[in-house]
Amino acid sequence: METYNPKIVCFSCNFGWGYLSDAETIGPTILNWIPVVCSGKIDTSHILKAFRAGADGVMILGCSEGHCHFQDGNYQTRKKVFLIHKVLDAFGIEPERLTMELDIDPEGRKIPQLIAQMQHHLSGLGPVKQV
Amino acid sequence: MAEKLKVAICWLGACGGCDASIVDLNEVILQVADAVDIVLWPLAMDFKYRSIQQMPDAEIALSILSGSIRNSDHQEMAELLRKKSQVVMAMGACACFGGTPGLANFHSKDDIFNWVYRDAPTVVNPDGNFPQPETVRNGGKLTLPHFFEHVFTLDQAIDVDYYLPGCPPPPELIVNAINAVLAGDLPPKGSTLAPRKALCDTCPRNQRKPNRMEIRSFNRIHEVEADPDACFLAAGIICMGPATRNGCGETCIRINVPCRGCFGPLPGVVGSEPKFLSTLASLLVVERDDEIKEAIDSFDDPVGYLYRFTQPSSILGRRSAKKVTEEGS
Ligand code: SF4
Ligand code: SF4
Repeated sequence: METYNPKIVCFSCNFGWGYLSDAETIGPTILNWIPVVCSGKIDTSHILKAFRAGADGVMILGCSEGHCHFQDGNYQTRKKVFLIHKVLDAFGIEPERLTMELDIDPEGRKIPQLIAQMQHHLSGLGPVKQV
Repeated sequence: MAEKLKVAICWLGACGGCDASIVDLNEVILQVADAVDIVLWPLAMDFKYRSIQQMPDAEIALSILSGSIRNSDHQEMAELLRKKSQVVMAMGACACFGGTPGLANFHSKDDIFNWVYRDAPTVVNPDGNFPQPETVRNGGKLTLPHFFEHVFTLDQAIDVDYYLPGCPPPPELIVNAINAVLAGDLPPKGSTLAPRKALCDTCPRNQRKPNRMEIRSFNRIHEVEADPDACFLAAGIICMGPATRNGCGETCIRINVPCRGCFGPLPGVVGSEPKFLSTLASLLVVERDDEIKEAIDSFDDPVGYLYRFTQPSSILGRRSAKKVTEEGS
């Protein structure tokens, strides 16, 4: 049997996650890692396009509450996530395939762990069902 | 006298509303009919498909096609007219984006057949008859078009030159589009023959939009008494205006009905729904997670609103008709 290895796209805020580690050390350990200037910069279409392109899950890492460098980008994206859950559900994509984590992790050590956890969870779900 | 240009008008997976909008040109339709030679228009005139098949390729100057591609008959007709035409224009939300029939893509073909021919409370079908693509009766074979698994936009089945959105497109835009083709005065291939701004830009209610819009929960239009002059969205009534192209003449807005998005996304945008979702999220002013959830749950049937006219052309809903129908339907 072919083993299922869920593909995860990880958008992370540059101000909260992994900014002390250089891309060379941490980057290669995380596939499809997309650091952005603020989690608020992640548009709904980026998330839908990731699923369209074959992602099994999308993880968004934003700064913890009150720590957004741009006032409230994390909060803006939090609201988008709840709305997108409804859309994903209608397309037969389980809402838990899109998650958002709010924290500060300058070294980014938690990123591979969080991804591994999500991969483990998605392995139980199996591949995205096409509608 | 030079020969008149040939024009074909044809409905595919359509309701006929687009054709009715052409009829709504009133006297102007007579001028159009004078200027061109209408070689096909199933709604209004009697023609034989055979005469189209017998034409040399590219004989027709313009084919105006409305409706989605839902079955093999639509696909064959679209392919035939593509071959015989110099210019193909997708007319109406169905041809351009999939339209309301595209919402069927949230269900499988089996679900649809079971509901329509077996499970709906109004169905009486004791023998369990389902339509078949082929039936032999008294030694003769009867056929029906194949119903596809999926509803497609016109450009997922054939190459399309121009788009005219709307459900249906207003008569003024139809005349402009036909005249532009006849005069050879056309924008680049692939253009949408409609204005390029968002509906909010021309909406009369925009004047009464508060400086800072704050939504705490969503209302449906029939649940509240909407102020006939104020912005719907500011009152929490879902209005697709911010993410929808204008050109409709604000017909819904003027009769106190919010925009449903039939003109589709703005130029350069694939799918208006993500843009609208981002807008909506930024207008919500509830703080805690449970409040956000509650507010979003008050948005009844979000997918029905967001994808009302665009499921088949949306980021997650798009499919190629060629690929899907070749793989077997
Ligand atoms: S775009 Fe609207 S009016 Fe035209 S065929 Fe589709 S549903 Fe009917
Ligand atoms: S949201 Fe709707 S009502 Fe408000 S300005 Fe835009 S189109 Fe007009």
